[in-house]
Amino acid sequence: MDTPSYKLAERIIARLTKEQLLAGKDGAKLLTKLASGELRAEDWRLPIEVATSKSDDSAEGQP
Amino acid sequence: MSSVGLKQLCIEHLRGSVAPFTLVFEKGKNLTVVYGENGSGKSTVCDALDLLGNGKVGSLEGRGLGQAQKFWPSAGKALADIAVKLDIADGSMCRVTVSSKGAIANPKSSCPVVEVLRRAQILSLIEAQPGDRYNAIKRFIDVSGVESSEASLRTLIRDLRQSQEVAVARVRENLDAIESFWQTAGKPGPDALTWAQAEAKRDPKTYESEVQALTQLHTAYTKLTDYPQRFEQAKQALRLAKATAAKAAEQVQTDLQAAAQDAGELISVLQSAQHYLRKHPSPAACPLCESSERVQGLQQRISERLAPFSALRTAQTQNITAAAALQRAEQSLELLGQEARQQSQAFEGSRTSYSWSPDVKFPTSTAPDDAENLATWLAASSGLPAHWQNAITDRKDKKQFIETLQRAVKTYSDNASAQTDLDTLLPNLERTLKIVEEERRVFVDGILSSISTEVGRIYEAVHPGEGLNKISLQLDPNRRASLGMLAEFCGNTGVPPQAYFSDSHLDTLGLCIFLALAARDKAEDKILVLDDVLGSVDEPHVDRLVNVLYDEASNFRHCVITTHYRPWRQKLRWGWLKNGQCQFVELSKWTNATGLTLVRTIPDVEQLRTLLAANPPDPQLVCAKGGVILEAVLDFITLLYECSVPRRASGLYTLGELLPAIKPKLRDALEVEIQVKDTSGAITYQKKGLSPIITELDRIARVRNVVGCHFNALSFDLLDSDALGFGQLVLELVEAVADPDGGWPRNDKSGKYWANAGETRRLHPLQQPK
Repeated sequence: MDTPSYKLAERIIARLTKEQLLAGKDGAKLLTKLASGELRAEDWRLPIEVATSKSDDSAEGQP
Repeated sequence: MSSVGLKQLCIEHLRGSVAPFTLVFEKGKNLTVVYGENGSGKSTVCDALDLLGNGKVGSLEGRGLGQAQKFWPSAGKALADIAVKLDIADGSMCRVTVSSKGAIANPKSSCPVVEVLRRAQILSLIEAQPGDRYNAIKRFIDVSGVESSEASLRTLIRDLRQSQEVAVARVRENLDAIESFWQTAGKPGPDALTWAQAEAKRDPKTYESEVQALTQLHTAYTKLTDYPQRFEQAKQALRLAKATAAKAAEQVQTDLQAAAQDAGELISVLQSAQHYLRKHPSPAACPLCESSERVQGLQQRISERLAPFSALRTAQTQNITAAAALQRAEQSLELLGQEARQQSQAFEGSRTSYSWSPDVKFPTSTAPDDAENLATWLAASSGLPAHWQNAITDRKDKKQFIETLQRAVKTYSDNASAQTDLDTLLPNLERTLKIVEEERRVFVDGILSSISTEVGRIYEAVHPGEGLNKISLQLDPNRRASLGMLAEFCGNTGVPPQAYFSDSHLDTLGLCIFLALAARDKAEDKILVLDDVLGSVDEPHVDRLVNVLYDEASNFRHCVITTHYRPWRQKLRWGWLKNGQCQFVELSKWTNATGLTLVRTIPDVEQLRTLLAANPPDPQLVCAKGGVILEAVLDFITLLYECSVPRRASGLYTLGELLPAIKPKLRDALEVEIQVKDTSGAITYQKKGLSPIITELDRIARVRNVVGCHFNALSFDLLDSDALGFGQLVLELVEAVADPDGGWPRNDKSGKYWANAGETRRLHPLQQPK
């Protein structure tokens, strides 16, 4: 897994995780599909919905 | 594939190798320079490595040969005769044979990674169309997989944005509909939505049960409305029955009086006798008087006597019938009264069994039990059925309204919820897309910038200070897979180099690009092959390019360079490289009988040492070899210190020209520090002055008056003893100045002396004394 696509996918997943747009476990699942071009529209939606709803919840829970 | 060094390359019947050819690689040197005149077979060496690593013979491609594979074998040989074997220093090997289906490597896992650049290809990357240039570089920047996933994300955002627009429109429509309902309802409550949401909570089944109760009430009332007429009819029937019965009774009396007194009893007796005789048609005597007299014809005579009483009998029958009809009429009237009472009770039951809305009206009194008052009561409440029917319609309308409102509120709620979800999700998806796009651009630009910088660095090393190193590679933002190449020229940035650079500069640029690209991809595992790519480089840049190649070669597993450029032969043969030595291999002229042959691989210094060690030594051979080496040493020193010698086009000088050029001050100052390592690896330097050696060599030349000779002619004029002494002195001089591994001292970075690679030699002084 030393292709430019894979290296780029690793960077993207790391950035999205850092920005709380992806949960860590989902990022690992998406990595290969993202690099190989097999990530479909529905594959993008759910993990981002889940991660952002969680981050919204935690933000709401803060004093 | 590991980065273990190469041991030897064996080639059989591939192109120029009509006979088996073996190139042995020197241990510890990963740069091999193969020198040979045109047609000596240099490209065959490159082809062999190309076949090993890439399964092809690149030198035959693009030459209009069509299917070039048939030209792979040497003349007279078949594809199956071809064999190329690479032995690795660790004892492993890789062998490639060829069939009609192509190259077959065994074992495949041992095949080396080989990058080949040939003379004909050197400008291909520069002069290529942007698309072709992209193809050459895409393995480093091909992120099509991520781009495809990115396109999916873009599609998702586009689709959701459309869904969001639809949701917004629907929410607007739903609000309009609710507003309309609200206005219809008279705008109750603070606003339409608050009112609608409150209304939608109402249960439409409430109206349903009220409609049911109203319907029951209406039905019960309707049933009561028949009874007045039915009472009247029943009474009429009773009156008629009474009259009929009275008339029938009167007729019977009249007929009785007309028949006779006691006729009634007589008729009964006769009818009884007739009835008896029907059962006993032939009696022996009269059943009444028991006389047998006139018993004959008795039945006939009784019938004849009854005949006059038939009218009376008819009247009696009618009387009986009329009495029964009268009784039925009386019973019917009684039943009707009971029914009417029950229906009145049912109506009252309907009225009291439901909790009515205030707007529902009822009769002012309860339904009467008696038939007589029912008609009056009905007449007083005759308008109510229509009122109840209207109430039913009203409740049904209200039920439908609530249900419609509930649907409207639910649709509004669903669409508003969908819109809210999308309002939250879309910015996050758009942020994701922005990050993906940004990371992709940064990643690709980073690689291109890195390649550009690397190309610029190598190019600057070849063309220092010419300001041509600002090379940039840029993807065309408007075209997919299109790579532009730009440079700076005379202060103009972003110009295509092929429009302004000389051919020589473009050649070196092409070479630099190839080196930069090849070095990016696991260079330590790669064999780099440069086939005659140096020929067009102009003389001022030759030394620098050689040094650059030497530097870059150290990044690769091995580097093989072929050249036919004669001035290089001398520089490479004598190791006149700033950074050290390489393996120098020279091919002799190719013949159809021998194919590729090596001239020799033993360095001249080694040969001189061998000649001097021979027993007995051959003075003539020693002197000839010593002369050639002395030529190289003096040439090196006079060039290094910029000594004055006559200019000569041939570049060949006599001792009488070179020796005096090294002036006494310089001669006395020439001193070499020779590195010595003890057994523990500790380094010390031993000093050795060159003046005594040069002075003695000068003396031999002057005494024997050979100062006008060229070096290879010395042997004809020297005594044997002088010739051998000459050879010893030359060997002493060259061993002092140069090291077989570290090369010649040409590096002045210390600022104090000239050093070779590894500083095994330090030559003083740095400059010629004034």
